[in-house]
Amino acid sequence: MSIEALTLLFFGALLFFLMLGLPLAFVLGGVSVVFLYFTWGFDSFFMVASQIWGTMGSFTLVAIPLFVFMAMVLERTGVARDLYRMMHLWWGGVRGGLAIGTLLICAVFAAMVGISGAAVVAMGTIALPSMLDRGYDKNMALGVINTGGGWGILIPPSILMILYALITGVSVGKMFAAGILPGIMLMILTALYIVIRCYFQPHLAPALPPEERASWPEKFRALRAVLLPILIVFMVLGSIIGGITTPTEAAAVGVLGALISAATYGKLTWPMLQEASIRTFKLTGMIMWILFAAHAFSAAYQSMGAQDLIEGLMAMVPGGPWGVVISMMLITFLLAMVLDPVGIMMITLPVFIPIIEALGFDPIWFGILFVINMEIGYMTPPFGFNLFYLKGIVPPSITMNDIYRSIVPFVLVEILGIALIMVFPEIATYLPNLFFKGG
Amino acid sequence: MRALSAFMTGVTRMNKLIGKWVSYLIFAMFVFLLMEVGFRYLFNSPTVWTNELTQMLFGVYAVMSGGYIMAHRGHVNVDLVYSHMTPRGQAVTDIITSTVFFAFTLALLYFGVDIARESIASLETSYSAWNPPIWPVKLAIPVGTGLLVLQGLVKLLEDIAIAFNLSYYQPESTDAGDTL
Repeated sequence: MSIEALTLLFFGALLFFLMLGLPLAFVLGGVSVVFLYFTWGFDSFFMVASQIWGTMGSFTLVAIPLFVFMAMVLERTGVARDLYRMMHLWWGGVRGGLAIGTLLICAVFAAMVGISGAAVVAMGTIALPSMLDRGYDKNMALGVINTGGGWGILIPPSILMILYALITGVSVGKMFAAGILPGIMLMILTALYIVIRCYFQPHLAPALPPEERASWPEKFRALRAVLLPILIVFMVLGSIIGGITTPTEAAAVGVLGALISAATYGKLTWPMLQEASIRTFKLTGMIMWILFAAHAFSAAYQSMGAQDLIEGLMAMVPGGPWGVVISMMLITFLLAMVLDPVGIMMITLPVFIPIIEALGFDPIWFGILFVINMEIGYMTPPFGFNLFYLKGIVPPSITMNDIYRSIVPFVLVEILGIALIMVFPEIATYLPNLFFKGG
Repeated sequence: MRALSAFMTGVTRMNKLIGKWVSYLIFAMFVFLLMEVGFRYLFNSPTVWTNELTQMLFGVYAVMSGGYIMAHRGHVNVDLVYSHMTPRGQAVTDIITSTVFFAFTLALLYFGVDIARESIASLETSYSAWNPPIWPVKLAIPVGTGLLVLQGLVKLLEDIAIAFNLSYYQPESTDAGDTL
């Protein structure tokens, strides 16, 4: 069989079994094993099994359960509630102020944890009812939480970045550093959108009436709420960027910070820890089994010689190198509609990265574009995790349709962000080059 | 039929119990990593064993999760089409797709046993500065995969019961897990 037909059959079979609802890990593993059998024979699977051993011994990956655990603990503390109270006092008097405050909290949360769910759940239960009570348009309130929650994977630490670094061989520290400015930029862009929109349509997000606004002493007292989160952010990011610890050790330091804040809020109980450890186990194990299966996938992919074929196809894309990058963005965007981010990374990155490097692009810069794309995937139907999280916690009066409609302008802002980073790569590459000179 | 239901309940219970205990390894990993940071900066004496031990614990933690997650239906899948099927349609589909599941897990089990047997035969160590025995971690590969295969078998039996209306299994509700 020709390589073209084999490759087509391979990806077709993957898609077919995925659509039949078989879990991603087993689709990747099983279909690949069958193809490996026909290309390199049964014994080639020994190689796959030994690569699994390699994955089990990856010290970087140990950061994943720790960062997940940290998020699960922080989600259960009163940190989010206090932060929201503070933002309410400081921003309530401004049109769209609560929405902007929610965005800021999401960014703070994202700088503490490496997943997107924690902020969505925390803000969906605290900020959403509060905004709706004060007459905010529901599209505005939902959209803000949806978009802000997604920053968890862009603003370091980030589990997707750890996986990206593992697959592509770039440094985790550099990836983390690269995410900071794009994260801040997206936050400013989104806040600007809210300010401008509310300036012209004040009814979407009314300012609090003067009697509900806070006095200055109250405002300053509320500032205490940011102390713990800022401490955690400095403990985690500071120790990675300062070269004091490895990302994995920094994650353990972050867990310590999360436990301290849980204790401060009187939430440090054994049932809470037990629940957090079980949820962490499930999520980490799910990711790890996809990773195990992905070794079979990349072996099968290589055995067919499909790399040359895809490279050849990419060379035919109009628009030269930029056409290639844009078409890769489109492919990931489309895949994000049906697949989860870990799966998308496992399938596309082994294919994309050699091409990106051959074209002379910076894999760290590409990684940031990729992660923002995944983030858009989180907030767009049909397979957007944030949407499901949100649906799980909103009052029944809000339908899935409301949630779908709310995201449109926010997705456009994110796409604008991607475009800006493509035009000005320094937004992503400046900090890593500054912090990690020559390495 | 009684034996069959007992087997199914037994495997599921075992996986849930093992998962519960393995999940506590997160606390050990946390403590060891923190100790290492402490030793290095407070006492200026890094250890040779904490990071390697953490890594070994993580290996066991990761590979032993498969069966537990399967028992909780926690492996992420695409339910675009699947969720619109009847329970019976889903069961029939699952029976068909289980061939792919077993192709992967049985191949992994076969070579996992190979890897573990070689390692145990030589009582393999890591050859690092600390040089701990690593055969117990390698043994976790076939054990973890075996638990997953068993749970997959239980799932297959459940699906057969639903598809053909057999009485040895009564479906119950399951809880959803987290995602990234």
